[in-house]
Amino acid sequence: MQPSLILRSGRSAWKGPYFVAFPNLKEALINNVAIRTQARGCTILPNFVGIRFMVHNGKDYAPVMITQDMVGHKLGEFAHTKKRFTYKMTKNK
Amino acid sequence: MVHVLGVQLPDYQYARFALTAFYGIGHKTAHRLCARLQIHDKCKVRSLTPHQITELAAFLSSPSTSTPIPRFPLATSSYKPPPASTPLAVLKEETKKLSQRAWADPLRNIKIESEARRVVKDNIAHQRMIGSYVGKRHAMGLPVRGQNTQNNARTAKKLNRVDRRG
Repeated sequence: MQPSLILRSGRSAWKGPYFVAFPNLKEALINNVAIRTQARGCTILPNFVGIRFMVHNGKDYAPVMITQDMVGHKLGEFAHTKKRFTYKMTKNK
Repeated sequence: MVHVLGVQLPDYQYARFALTAFYGIGHKTAHRLCARLQIHDKCKVRSLTPHQITELAAFLSSPSTSTPIPRFPLATSSYKPPPASTPLAVLKEETKKLSQRAWADPLRNIKIESEARRVVKDNIAHQRMIGSYVGKRHAMGLPVRGQNTQNNARTAKKLNRVDRRG
């Protein structure tokens, strides 16, 4: 392969995807147990499909069910870290 | 004014800049397009011949089915010329093989106007469907890539939506 081709298709082409090895992947799929993780940067691989994850959003763990369409995205994209602002009337004035 | 596929190309502009009036054609693609249709760099829209305009319209209406251009690639540094005794028929065969080498025509898969808009819409709809942060921000009409929203964010408020128009 020409080196220029690798360079042209971007850094991630030669660098490869980032992912974390989950040792309990198989049993999670069989027993339908959610995997608790803080690895938000982990790329969703095709063998994650059908597994439930509990992804850390900075405060608690948000449930994420992996479907076929999510392959190639990151786990953190599905655990939102921000709440929408809502005005709450203060009780004690 | 010249109309090509419903898009107005201003008379006073250079053809290679006027072509960027199409949604989905930027400077680079426009330059390539001019080279393909043999339109001079300094040729203005008003001096395009009717033949060139029809050629342009024909190409842009279906780039994927346009006739492929002939290629005459140069020899690579590792090329070893065949001995002088090779018959002409074999030589011709080899040149033919060389010119048919896989080559990704950059103009073959260009998408313009409604086709290009549909690609953008599909990408946003995909993000929205899988419930990612990008899709959520589009639905809220806010910037997607972490820009500030305390003030302004006017471009995102104008453009970002699930059913994006432009």
